[in-house]
Amino acid sequence: MSSTIVETSNLTKRYGQRTVVENLNLSIPTGSVYGFLGPNGAGKSTTMKMLLSLIQPSSGEVQIMGQPMTRGTRRKLLGGIGSLIEAPPGYAHLTGAENMRLVQRMLGLNRQQVDYAIRAVRLQDQMGKKVRNYSLGMKQRLGIAMALARQPQLLILDEPTNGLDPAGIEEMRTLLRRLAGDGVTVMVSSHLLGEIDKTANVLGILSGGRMIFQGSRSELMVASNPDVRITCSNPHAAAVTLKSFSARLTDDGEVAVPGLDDRQTAGVVAALVGEGFGITGVRRQEQTLEDVFMTLTAGGGL
Amino acid sequence: MSALSAELIKLKRSLAWPIVVFLPIVLVLAGVATQLADGRTPENGWHTVWLQSVGFYGLFPLAIGIAILGSLVWRVEHRGSNWNALMSGPVASLRIVTAKAAVVAGLTALMQLVLLAAVILIGKVAFGLPGMLPGEYLTVTAVLILATIPAAALQSALSMFLRSFAAPISIALVASGISTGALMAFGNAALVSPYAVATRAALLGTGSFVDTGTITGSDITAILAATATLTVLILAVTTMALDRRDTRI
Repeated sequence: MSSTIVETSNLTKRYGQRTVVENLNLSIPTGSVYGFLGPNGAGKSTTMKMLLSLIQPSSGEVQIMGQPMTRGTRRKLLGGIGSLIEAPPGYAHLTGAENMRLVQRMLGLNRQQVDYAIRAVRLQDQMGKKVRNYSLGMKQRLGIAMALARQPQLLILDEPTNGLDPAGIEEMRTLLRRLAGDGVTVMVSSHLLGEIDKTANVLGILSGGRMIFQGSRSELMVASNPDVRITCSNPHAAAVTLKSFSARLTDDGEVAVPGLDDRQTAGVVAALVGEGFGITGVRRQEQTLEDVFMTLTAGGGL
Repeated sequence: MSALSAELIKLKRSLAWPIVVFLPIVLVLAGVATQLADGRTPENGWHTVWLQSVGFYGLFPLAIGIAILGSLVWRVEHRGSNWNALMSGPVASLRIVTAKAAVVAGLTALMQLVLLAAVILIGKVAFGLPGMLPGEYLTVTAVLILATIPAAALQSALSMFLRSFAAPISIALVASGISTGALMAFGNAALVSPYAVATRAALLGTGSFVDTGTITGSDITAILAATATLTVLILAVTTMALDRRDTRI
């Protein structure tokens, strides 16, 4: 099996003059939980729909399990992909059990596969109820059960925590981790980093239709390159001395210098020492992943 | 088969059932209402009852009935993200299109059987007609069941592409009106329209509009040939269109 299960090259979707997704090079490692992040309207759903061939890209292509995903190949590939796009599916006038029986017949599955999916989302006690009377969380779980029943290698979930209460969100995280443990690759989108931060081991951040970051958590922290904070004697004068590095004075009386790598940091400290400043502390500003995400998506890129 | 058996589950608690049962009954009653009110026996016995109920039914109520069934069958797919789920599964577009068309055609067939039963019941119970409905009308019912398949496939396609419940029904009304006109003007050449095929079959043996009153082999052959050709054509075009279509944003 290849190391990436989903690979896109220059994936683009345009509606008239409006570009919704632009030159996306997405790469999802096999077996990972891929957190697909971005503010509302960033193009996450559109991208996921192109991965599933629900809509055709304007240009670029999608490869899934090493094969091009096109209108000709999609039905074959879709047998190995479970998905939940936008709202959860389900026929409201039927019970949960009838909805699952329908999936079973449609896909030619056996009873065990269906039971496994129902138990995975812990819905076994609600199967006699009509879906119309389900809570949003139950509908969401039924939708996931319908996607899971075919025992997919790849699961694509679009905002699965939308509308769930904190307990439901935690349960979703547990489910995703368990699935990943079973070897299913999961792609999960959200506009809230906090919801998938702890679950995802690879992150892709989309903003304005462009991928502004793709990699692991720690890579994201490095890429975000936080300010270097220097505590020293006479910070006013130090800030003036480092003007060419766009240094500024913080409220705490520290000198903050943006965009420095380690070598440059050493150089800056040496320069200050040479000028006779007494350095008492040099550190990177601590940032939460949330800060990084906000900075990235607000600024539109690294 | 699997797609079709899945479709059958969706028919549970469906509003399609009351349509299948009540539409033909109401139409038969409407057709014979004046005679029932006057307490007269239809002058030509079974033939009159058939002409007044089935003959009228075939002009446009039949097309509307098929259209309503089509819209009801597709309505559930346009709700929530059921469409996305349907299109992101491994079931081929042809099987989805065929299964849905088969369900609409099957419900329509049941509607014809209810119609037949209603005619017999009215004839025997309300009018006390002697004997039985002439056997030729059983043949007509069988032909009618087949002849509604193209219209069922077309209405299923319209309701698939149009999210509106009412739009496909209005199209059916207008198209069946035009088709009846075309039947009058061009005879069996009008059988290029699926609605004309259904109407022509319903008129078999009635001696009204285009029908001569005698059921001929050539008429039946023309109807069945049009049925087969149109069904294959409509299913093929619908499948191609579905395959090329983007899901809505």
